[in-house]
Amino acid sequence: MKRIILNLKIAIRSLMNFKLRTTLAVLGVFLGTFSLIVVSNLSDSLAKKTQIEAEKLGKNLLIVRSGIVRRFGSSTRLLSEATTLMTHDAGAILDGSRLVKDASSSGNKNFPVRYGNVVLKSILVMGIMPNYSEIRNFRAKHGRFINEGDNTSLSKVAVIGTKVAEKLFGKQDPMGKHILIWRVPCEVIGIMEEKGLDISGLDQDNQIFVPLNTYLRRFVNKDYVNSISVQVINEQSIPLAKAEIEDILRKRHNIQKDQEDDFSVIDLKDVMALKTQAIHMIKILGRVSAVVSFLIGGLGILSIMILIVNERRIEIGIRRAVGSRKRDIILQFLLEASFISFSGGTLGVILSMGTSILIFLIAKLPFIFSPAGYAFSFFASIAVGILAGIYPSRRATKIQPVDVIKS
Amino acid sequence: MPLCLMENIRKTFHSGAIEVEVLKSINLRLERREFVAIMGTSGSGKTTLMNIIGCLDTPTSGRYVLADKEVSHLSDDELSFIRNEHIGFVFQNFYLLPYATVLENVLLPTLYVDKHKDNREQQAVDLLQLVGLKERIRFKPNQLSGGEQQRVAIARALVNDPDLLLADEPTGQLDSKTAEEIMNLLREMNTRGKTVLLITHDQNVAAYAQRTVQIKDGIILE
Repeated sequence: MKRIILNLKIAIRSLMNFKLRTTLAVLGVFLGTFSLIVVSNLSDSLAKKTQIEAEKLGKNLLIVRSGIVRRFGSSTRLLSEATTLMTHDAGAILDGSRLVKDASSSGNKNFPVRYGNVVLKSILVMGIMPNYSEIRNFRAKHGRFINEGDNTSLSKVAVIGTKVAEKLFGKQDPMGKHILIWRVPCEVIGIMEEKGLDISGLDQDNQIFVPLNTYLRRFVNKDYVNSISVQVINEQSIPLAKAEIEDILRKRHNIQKDQEDDFSVIDLKDVMALKTQAIHMIKILGRVSAVVSFLIGGLGILSIMILIVNERRIEIGIRRAVGSRKRDIILQFLLEASFISFSGGTLGVILSMGTSILIFLIAKLPFIFSPAGYAFSFFASIAVGILAGIYPSRRATKIQPVDVIKS
Repeated sequence: MPLCLMENIRKTFHSGAIEVEVLKSINLRLERREFVAIMGTSGSGKTTLMNIIGCLDTPTSGRYVLADKEVSHLSDDELSFIRNEHIGFVFQNFYLLPYATVLENVLLPTLYVDKHKDNREQQAVDLLQLVGLKERIRFKPNQLSGGEQQRVAIARALVNDPDLLLADEPTGQLDSKTAEEIMNLLREMNTRGKTVLLITHDQNVAAYAQRTVQIKDGIILE
């Protein structure tokens, strides 16, 4: 150990004579490590965020929407409405496919909402079944959610989102108060937990939930629903479950082979695929830039080591004269080369840590430090040094004392 | 057994198609604790002889026994080991590492000793005290005078406690007063029990030795 330290001390002092080149070599490895770690941290964090978002929407979720729906990027548009999706369809899906764990129909429409003097012109009102909460992973924070009794008795009750509560009531407690939704006075029985935007950009805190039957009879006076949320038993079964649901509904809606569906089954994973693709691109770009930086760093180290070996021919001759073997010389120069790259790597690890934290804070991303990124860049930075040191150190062993020590 | 025994040593260099025989049948015997000077003009072959005695080079033919070991046909790494254990070098141009301190320079040969010893640094400091440079151990070579640098080189040559101290024109770069100091130091090392072999062209320097061997045109003159 003492030998290594002594050799390194001497090496560092001789590197001081090539400050610019040493800096460039260190910088190359630094950039390699830096981009590798930042990108793996960032992509891991984005992946985690997407996963969190997906789970927020509900686990293993498929959404059946009435009418023909087209996807544009991450948002969906209803092209033509249909009046064929019934609440019974939810039950039929649940009974018809063993891959379906639960299904919940819902209707939605925008209505004006009023409390006292405050009027909100257009708030999304969702008519839902009690199991909606479970399937969509969305619960009441205060009070309670809609239950079976509310639904069968067509109760005039409402559970409101936090934003709605804030706008209507300000600092007052909304619980037990009556709000006027369109022409129906409803008692506030609960306030939902905060949820933020869903994947299509809809603010989920800015909506009101009422029992589905209340919604159908008292609000829209219709017997068809807009969508059915379906929970599949597990992730792998989602594609198959989708096909089964399509089959069941086509039969129930009497759709012929050559006819287009009057509904769409949406897999949110497809919607998220775009995001996943973007993350993938970032990953690839990051890796490419890391490889390029490591290459530059490696070449930098190679050139500086060749220079150093030439500069220190006499030193090598002296060391050989006082008893160093060829492999001692090789080890010495490999150590020096990997020391250069390792200091670049260490710098990269430290700075990338700080940068990642900064990015996470600014972009409000989950804090994730990719262990693979750190491990790989650690090994890469040492490996680059060793690889770049092989040729120069082999050259160094060609130097014989009798060639350089002259009297 | 003598410390060095050379029998019929020849050394031939090839320069293109031309063969140059630099050493022609050298026989040399060096007893332990001797102080011997090898004298010769430039081109006499004394540097080649020194390289072979110092195990920096191998003879083309002949037998060379150093410290009871036949070394004429050893490999590069085996010769490194022999140099490290048995030989200390003092060169005309000092050949200290410019980036290393005085103490680090003296410690250099200890880096290549396989056996672990803890007191190396103390030994190096003691040697620097012996050559009168204890106050300068943190200095760099370029902060020292020529004579001081040569003292450092002598301390480095002695740090692994070698059998043979090989000094190649040790005073060649020094003024006469400093040269005298260095020669006295070498003589002191000899009285302390080291075998010293001096290579020089200078009569005054050779006079410090107990015995002088003349070499001319690759042959030792008796």
